[in-house]
Amino acid sequence: MIEARDVSVAIGGRGIVANVDFDIRPGEIAAIVGPNGSGKTTFLRALSGDLAYSGEVTINGRDLSAMKPVEAAMLRAVLPQATTLSFPFTVREIVRLGLLGGRSGALPGEDERLPERALARVDLDGFAGRFYQELSGGEQQRVQLARVLCQVWAPVLDGKPRYLFLDEPVSSLDIKHQLIIMNIARDFARRGGGVVAILHDLNLTAMYADRIFVMHRGMLAATGSPQDVLSDDLIEKVFDCRLRVGVLPAGDMPFVLPQSAA
Amino acid sequence: MVDQSIAGASTMATASDGDRSGRARIVILLLCLGLAVAVLLSLTSGASDASAVSVVGDWLLGAAPGNEAVSARDRLIVYDIRLPRVILGVLIGAALAVSGAVMQGLFRNPLADPGLIGVSAGSSLGAVAVIVLGATVLAPIISVLGTLALPLAAFCGGLATTLLLYQVATRHGQTSVATMLLAGIALAALAMALTGILIFMADDRQLRDLTFWQLGSLAGATWQKIGSVGPVIVLALAAMPFLARGLNALALGEATAGHVGIPVQRLKYTAIIGVSAAVGASVAVSGGIGFVGIVVPHLLRLAIGPDNRYLLPASALLGASLLLLADAVARTIVAPAELPIGIVTAIAGAPFFLWILLRKRGVIDL
Repeated sequence: MIEARDVSVAIGGRGIVANVDFDIRPGEIAAIVGPNGSGKTTFLRALSGDLAYSGEVTINGRDLSAMKPVEAAMLRAVLPQATTLSFPFTVREIVRLGLLGGRSGALPGEDERLPERALARVDLDGFAGRFYQELSGGEQQRVQLARVLCQVWAPVLDGKPRYLFLDEPVSSLDIKHQLIIMNIARDFARRGGGVVAILHDLNLTAMYADRIFVMHRGMLAATGSPQDVLSDDLIEKVFDCRLRVGVLPAGDMPFVLPQSAA
Repeated sequence: MVDQSIAGASTMATASDGDRSGRARIVILLLCLGLAVAVLLSLTSGASDASAVSVVGDWLLGAAPGNEAVSARDRLIVYDIRLPRVILGVLIGAALAVSGAVMQGLFRNPLADPGLIGVSAGSSLGAVAVIVLGATVLAPIISVLGTLALPLAAFCGGLATTLLLYQVATRHGQTSVATMLLAGIALAALAMALTGILIFMADDRQLRDLTFWQLGSLAGATWQKIGSVGPVIVLALAAMPFLARGLNALALGEATAGHVGIPVQRLKYTAIIGVSAAVGASVAVSGGIGFVGIVVPHLLRLAIGPDNRYLLPASALLGASLLLLADAVARTIVAPAELPIGIVTAIAGAPFFLWILLRKRGVIDL
């Protein structure tokens, strides 16, 4: 379990995130939604150990601020929003970087084969020999996800859950690959890991998230299941636009239909 | 978007499964052989006709009775004049090339080079200060440090420049290329101006020493010099392989390197100190030898890819070989006089650097 209590983050003296309480339980996908500039990425970066924060964050009961990089790398893998690469590495060489932490959790001797298997999972079979910089934005994003999967290949290590931090994992993907990636996240959670994902597509969020954290102006505006959180009033207020929330006839899954910008 | 220059590199370096480690190992093996050949040639070529064959024979047979193959004069030339020079060339070539590769990994940019961004100028300043002020202002310090004073001063100068440069060019874990190059130019100009003041203060004898020293040369290599800077360079080089994995991860940015478990701060400071030590020691004995640090890693990336686990040792080997080659050219092209080796590496290296710039124009946004 990851617990964040009263977390605030300031960058250059400017408060970006204020007093956020947050938790991820093993076995679930927690989605963070909110308009641009609401502090989602900043909060996730604090959770990843990239930014100084006030408050308390624990991962599986251990204080994040006291963890060494290699210890944190064993417990969670992070998919950033965008990655720029400075040298012409091949796709395999990039994916292999996920194994640097040394605890993929795969069976002994299987690490060598993980890059191929991870690439197959993100639908990039046969891409290992390609140059990363030659790929499209969506393909690059999936390569990065394959790297992240190698790092925490087993969602549970030594009996303890591990976590995926995904910052807009599907933002540059076509609809098929959005579903493939979200299914990977769901599978990771079902096998005992925890997932936190920043998402912009509210319908995808409704489909996959067990709990939604709505951020607005650096604070939590609402927390709860998709059915609880996705209401006309709240979403219109937070996103400042006109929309309708309906319920799919086949079940109780809500969907969001945008109407107009004002 | 497919970039032409990267596509060009890929035709040279594509392995179907993206694993270039096998090819890298072969290249490293070949480079070992190449260095062995370069060492033998360097030991043999020169004003004396002592040949590589007879030297090896002498070495193999040792003091075996009846071994008259090599005269005492040849032995003197090979062991006391050429051998120190060759060892120094190997050490400095390796140090400069590896330092270039490490800096490029650290700054995440193929254009970073100790000579280009002011580190060598900083080292130079330290060394010139010791040469000019050694008999007067700095005399008490030098009497304590002895022969270590020169490399130490060069190290401090290089370290100060690198730290300053890194602070200026990096913000929120991202290094700006434009800022890095411009700050490097400014720091180099400052260091050279201060060096100029020292030169202004120097007497005629010091002046001549300084001029030739600044142009860069392996002439005057002695066992004593090797004794004072050799250990520093060897230590710095020995530390570099431990940085390789971290530098690979750094290609994805500082944050991601941290996420996969690399202690980024420690990596950065180890790299900066290692590079400053290696470059400082090199500058202290041989002056400014430019472009080795940029040409060697770049050529090798084309051949084996950017994986630092192979790039760093390969750079050491190729850097050593190329510097021996450049030294051979410097010694022979205007014989019996000798061209400063810095001129040779600059004449060969500067056009190469321009070529890299042209190829990279589309990729790197200055």
